[in-house]
Amino acid sequence: MAEDAEGRRLAVDAPTRTPILEIRGVSKRFGSTQALDDVSLALQAGEIHALLGENGAGKSTLIKIMTGVVQPDAGELIVEGRPVRVGSALEAQVLGIAAVYQEPMIFPDLSVAENIFISHRDRGRIVDRGAMRRDAKAVLDRLGVRLDVGEPARGLTVAAQQTVEIAKALSLRVRVLIMDEPTASLSAHEVRRLFGIVKALRGEGVAILFISHRMEDVFQIADRVTVLRDGHWISTRPRGEVTPASAIRDMVGRTMGDFFRRTPTRPGDAVLEVRGLAREGAFAGVSFTLRAGEVLGLAGLVGARRTDVGLALFGIAPADAGEVLLDGHPVTIRSPQDALRVGIAYTTEDRRQLGLIFALSIAANITLPTLRRYLSRFGLVRRAAEDAVAQGFKERLSIRAPTVEAAAGTLSGGNQQKVVLSKWLNTRPRVFILDEPTRGLDVGAKAEVHQIIDELAHDGIAIILISSELPEVLAMSDRILVMREGRQMAVFDSAEATQERVLAAAMGQPLTPPAAVV
Amino acid sequence: MTNLLRRVRPEQVRELTLVFILIAIVAFFATQIPNYIAWQTFNDISTGVEVIAVVAVGQTLVVLTRNIDLSIGSVVGLVAYFVGTLLASVPGFPAPAALAIAIAMGGALGAVNGVIVAFGRVPAVVATLGTLAIYRVALVELSGAKTVTTDSLPAWLLSLPRVSVVSLGQLDVRPLVLLALAVVIVFQLVLSYLPYGRRLFAIGSNPDAARVAGLPIQRDVFVAFVLSGALAGLAGLLFLVRFGNITVVAGQGLELQVVAAVVVGGVNIFGGSGSIVGAFVGATLINVLQQSLIRWPAVSAFAQDAILGLLILLAVASDKVILGRLRTIWVQARRRDEEQAAATSAEQAIRGA
Amino acid sequence: MARDLVRRLASWEGLLLAILAVIVVVTGFAVPGYLNPQNQINLLELSVEKAIVVLAMTFVIVSGEIDLSIASVMGLSAVLVAWLKEQGVPVEVGIVAALLVGALCGLFNGYWVAVIGLPSLAVTLAGLIGYRGAALLLVGDRSIGGFPEWFNRLGQQPLVGPFPLALIVFAVLLVGATVLLQFSGFGRYAYVVGSSPEVARFSGVRVRRVKLAVFAMSGLVSAFAGVLLLARLGAVRGSTAEGFELDIITMVLLGGVSIFGGSGTMAGVILSILVVLNLRNGLALANATGNTQAGVIGALLILSVLVPNIAAAARSRLGRGRSAEAAVIPKLSDL
Repeated sequence: MAEDAEGRRLAVDAPTRTPILEIRGVSKRFGSTQALDDVSLALQAGEIHALLGENGAGKSTLIKIMTGVVQPDAGELIVEGRPVRVGSALEAQVLGIAAVYQEPMIFPDLSVAENIFISHRDRGRIVDRGAMRRDAKAVLDRLGVRLDVGEPARGLTVAAQQTVEIAKALSLRVRVLIMDEPTASLSAHEVRRLFGIVKALRGEGVAILFISHRMEDVFQIADRVTVLRDGHWISTRPRGEVTPASAIRDMVGRTMGDFFRRTPTRPGDAVLEVRGLAREGAFAGVSFTLRAGEVLGLAGLVGARRTDVGLALFGIAPADAGEVLLDGHPVTIRSPQDALRVGIAYTTEDRRQLGLIFALSIAANITLPTLRRYLSRFGLVRRAAEDAVAQGFKERLSIRAPTVEAAAGTLSGGNQQKVVLSKWLNTRPRVFILDEPTRGLDVGAKAEVHQIIDELAHDGIAIILISSELPEVLAMSDRILVMREGRQMAVFDSAEATQERVLAAAMGQPLTPPAAVV
Repeated sequence: MTNLLRRVRPEQVRELTLVFILIAIVAFFATQIPNYIAWQTFNDISTGVEVIAVVAVGQTLVVLTRNIDLSIGSVVGLVAYFVGTLLASVPGFPAPAALAIAIAMGGALGAVNGVIVAFGRVPAVVATLGTLAIYRVALVELSGAKTVTTDSLPAWLLSLPRVSVVSLGQLDVRPLVLLALAVVIVFQLVLSYLPYGRRLFAIGSNPDAARVAGLPIQRDVFVAFVLSGALAGLAGLLFLVRFGNITVVAGQGLELQVVAAVVVGGVNIFGGSGSIVGAFVGATLINVLQQSLIRWPAVSAFAQDAILGLLILLAVASDKVILGRLRTIWVQARRRDEEQAAATSAEQAIRGA
Repeated sequence: MARDLVRRLASWEGLLLAILAVIVVVTGFAVPGYLNPQNQINLLELSVEKAIVVLAMTFVIVSGEIDLSIASVMGLSAVLVAWLKEQGVPVEVGIVAALLVGALCGLFNGYWVAVIGLPSLAVTLAGLIGYRGAALLLVGDRSIGGFPEWFNRLGQQPLVGPFPLALIVFAVLLVGATVLLQFSGFGRYAYVVGSSPEVARFSGVRVRRVKLAVFAMSGLVSAFAGVLLLARLGAVRGSTAEGFELDIITMVLLGGVSIFGGSGTMAGVILSILVVLNLRNGLALANATGNTQAGVIGALLILSVLVPNIAAAARSRLGRGRSAEAAVIPKLSDL
């Protein structure tokens, strides 16, 4: 194998001309998380380069660094042999680096042609509608796409909006196009069309960094495949040398050793039964039974729509088909109040936006869903009672804070998460849905949260644990339900679940026949 | 129905509806008021509308970016007074200079708003509520509570309202109306054909995308406020011509009528869509309504404001509810079209393969 | 980006207290007899109706909305009592009717905002125009006076000691509003809804109900203040209470209540009422007209939002690097 200056292995047939964009030794840390650690990557003009990795592998941070949103702590970016500093989105644009995301950013009230050319500075003083339309059509032709360029962008499908963004990048003379999960919301036909576009781009000499969880897409279109894991570069190989199995092994290969060990709990009776739950446009056919004291891990990758299931059970985005039974009785959940009434609690995955009011005290946050319990006859808050409850949780969950009157925003991430857990525990739930409860927490805090989950299971609460961290799901769950793009793929018992099996199911590539759906 | 909707965009439906409503109102009042359809009525209405129309043009620019300018009433009054005093105390002051001063003064006042909103990041409603008061104070201080009276004003100014540029039978086309129309046309063109105008739509349509696309949001919003002020300044001159007598309460309450005109005229209060022509039709509609109500004995002349308030609410509510539904239907129809086209092309591909 | 409520408030109220002290001391020296209690009562009396509405408006802004129609509701309720009197309806009944109408106006506003989802700026702007229009419809350009003697006495003469009814009402409402905002469950909900409607929703708070209640309260209190204003003035015209919203909104924002909702205290609002009223009085005594006072208030309004913005921008620029990044919690899918 050939080696580059850094001593990394290079595929034999890797081109030796100057890469159009090179990332050398880039590292980035956010608080206590090392998002990227000495990662290097070289993109060649006219290649489609796939980037694989689990959630948390560092892909998004890499994109942010490449598009100037975030600055690396160490390492450099080199464009066509010259080191550059990408300090802003505008600088990235000038350098020819553009990104298209899963959620396209378009202007619904402007026409397609205008969306493409809105940030151009060099189109002259007067907007020439005719010329703009012609040029827009020309750009779209290069991509092999036909769109009505005069119509407002509002009516476009996600696929078409993506195309518009790609056309915009192309018109700005993009040299490196980053595509983040471009196929996640597309139909099969739209995916075919997108690949046509991407190949056309490649033909024009654009380097495309293609980030996707869908193996079949990667293997259809990529020229080379790079795998990241936990912020480290693992491998870069030409497509011919990669198989789905080898890629998954690269993505996953960590030891399970030091992880939290659950204390064995005998599950009680069935508490929650879900049959054929579906919400149009989000998920369908979700069915499972959950017993008291049992932890059901909900695993899957970005776009799996697990959160949507949680939101449906909690009444924020109610399902439009299927049944939910609690203790054997059917229940209708159309609002959070309904969910709370039947004993379902839900902690959101975005603690900052949706979980806590930072300016409010810990005690006030904890009692928010259950405030009625702490009001006197005249509707005044019984502070003493409220503080006592908060104090109780502070001790039980070891929340580190000066007092329960401290503002929630002053706590560390782990302690904030404990406040969120306290808030929902206080509602005395029978079913507790935890959505990414240890996201952004350091090892110690994670362990504490896992301990709490273990105790909750012991206390007989039925728990649904939504998590994108495979080791966490495997260590904590009694059973694992794997979802992919809104569909239920497999249910594993903890005994038969391995990282590879779960990840494979999550990517739609089952390694062994999945267990029967329960 | 869906077939029709496929071809016509919801915003166009909105604009057409507005015109229909205007025609309906005129038709209705024609049955109620004798001699309603007469050129005299047209003249009366058209000489009332130019002030509001010009200010509405500026307000549209600001509202398109998701902001609002409540200070224009004070700007109109302040400029009217200042220019009036100037013309009264300096005999032979050239008209073009007066025009230039009016616009420049308005622009400067608008620039203050622009700085506070675009760079100070103070919400527009707060900032312009404050400058509304501050500019009114400036007017009072400047005037010493005196009034500009018509006899002090130069003759050319006073005769402007009655001069006719063109006379088609009994229809008099007045220069001020032409000026207002010219402003409307010019700025409609700006919005349609200048990159700046298109960026205003972008900023209101999706501020996050505008930031990501690197659009100069602060600068563009600042300019929008300057233009709004400058047009208010021009309207101040028109106000002076129309009324002659300028007291310290000149222009008070104008902002409410202008916002009403803009909202009724189809400019989305959330920004991103609307047109100058629409705002002009809205201003005309409101003016027609007001002038007609005065002539209609069945309803008290004092009903105007109540009806105006109702109109605004109806316009904003129906925009959200009806336009929203129309848009959803339209989007779904287009998607279905696209899917069908995709399916047929896929079939052809398979057959051909 | 965490709003450090406690720290920020302590400094804002302290600042207001300092400003108040300065204003009072300066005017106290410049104008003899200024600090005379009777004088203070007289001065407070002149604006007490506005101060009462400020109490309700605080709830509206804390919950993240705005109500521009308050002054028009004040005018409408005053006009309604007068008009009903002319129709032969006793004033007592008229007052009850006015309060009802005020509450209905508030509910009407609240319906479009909370249930339909229209921006409160647009809805209450329509209300400002519309309710004023309704008042004009009733009273035209006349002035209606001639109220019963007991009504005028209540409005203009002292009731208990040197304090007229309106001041007593204000004091009572002040205590009530403070308790409601700072100590009750409803007040807690108002803060939460204004701070983050999403978190509120996810926490099972009935956001719609809270907003409806806040607007209804605003309408009711405005109507009540309108009646008090009528009693004090003894007469009403179509333009009564016009332009009051500027002072009222200023007093709330100056009190440290963020225009974006979710923060502020009654203590700050009370101090700000005192600052604004004393400032107006000081200016009046310095022979500044009502308009000049309004101009100063307008400048105060802008500054009350501009200054914290500048301070926040400066703070973030200084504290950039460590603290700013540490505050960023990366999403797992973001890595």
